[in-house]
Amino acid sequence: MYYVARVDEEKCATYNCKQCTLFCPEANTLMFDERKNAAYVNEPRCKGCALCVYVCSDLLKRDCITMEMVTTE
Amino acid sequence: MGLRYVQPAPGFKQYLPKDYVDLIDFGPFGKEVDASQIGQFKEILEEHPMCAGCWMAYFVRVFYASLPNPEDTIVLGTAGCARLALSQAAVPFIYGNYGDTNAVASGLTRALNLRFPDKQKDVIAIAGDGGLMDIGFSMTMHSWFRKEKFTTIMVDNEVYGNTGGQESGMSPKGVQLKMAPKGKKFDKLPATELAKLAGCVYVVKIAPTNIKRLSKVIKRAILAARHFGPTFIHAYTSCNIEYSIPTEEVLRDAREREKKDFGFEEYMTDEVKAFFEEIEKKKKEVKA
Repeated sequence: MYYVARVDEEKCATYNCKQCTLFCPEANTLMFDERKNAAYVNEPRCKGCALCVYVCSDLLKRDCITMEMVTTE
Repeated sequence: MGLRYVQPAPGFKQYLPKDYVDLIDFGPFGKEVDASQIGQFKEILEEHPMCAGCWMAYFVRVFYASLPNPEDTIVLGTAGCARLALSQAAVPFIYGNYGDTNAVASGLTRALNLRFPDKQKDVIAIAGDGGLMDIGFSMTMHSWFRKEKFTTIMVDNEVYGNTGGQESGMSPKGVQLKMAPKGKKFDKLPATELAKLAGCVYVVKIAPTNIKRLSKVIKRAILAARHFGPTFIHAYTSCNIEYSIPTEEVLRDAREREKKDFGFEEYMTDEVKAFFEEIEKKKKEVKA
């Protein structure tokens, strides 16, 4: 079981914002998709620190990222 | 080294690992990328074993994204947390004995100048507070006294994080740590003041909360070291394990410390200042 961040892409696309990608401590993990205008998480690389949730929810009040438990099959 | 070293021979590209091919196609080699574009290009830093939410890992990420010339850069590290990530990047990395980063970097800079007199190679020593200000103190200071032309970066987590939490010279006064339960009795070493006294031409104290400023400072330190002399960056990179900071609050902690005792300070000599002004003037002319 892993604890990873997940981006609500529809909600994220309504904003013009890349702030979470600038504060993730991991490289090539929280990426920005220009076509969708939304951030996405490269889940196998996510360590689950929830810093992006702090940036998105606490600082910007946009609530687009949630932390979720995932299980690998 | 150099760009040709990174490019695969024609026909071999299809057999290389995906991460490597991505790095060639979407990486920063040979392009001018800005650190505020991270998340939109393939970074030279790869997966590494540093803790979740580590602010030092964040610093290393921004550091690698800010290199002005990654294909001609050599990074030196020493035992400690930072090298766990520093070594996992597409840049040559040298791992010496504990505390000798600046001595090795001195020799390396001189050797590179002899071997490649027509090329500019950037040498960057990046180590923790223990590696530079405690155990490697004499070698750090003497490289500055000798005016060696390379950049020194101290990622200061104020503790020996890798070995269970012993106090370091950079721990703040009075702090209680797992292996220093009585509390530290002495003040934090004035690292930036020492650097100025020892002859560094560009000295910065910074808490990584603003990516644009951080990346500008790293670029400036490397550029100044090419022409003028030693440069030094003192960055606050908290240890969320030893200082018990919840991972999601690491950024909040950095912002608090920035207000309290890690405010941004930038010192440069007059000739370095004139050099940067000229560069910025040229950039504006190109834009116009």
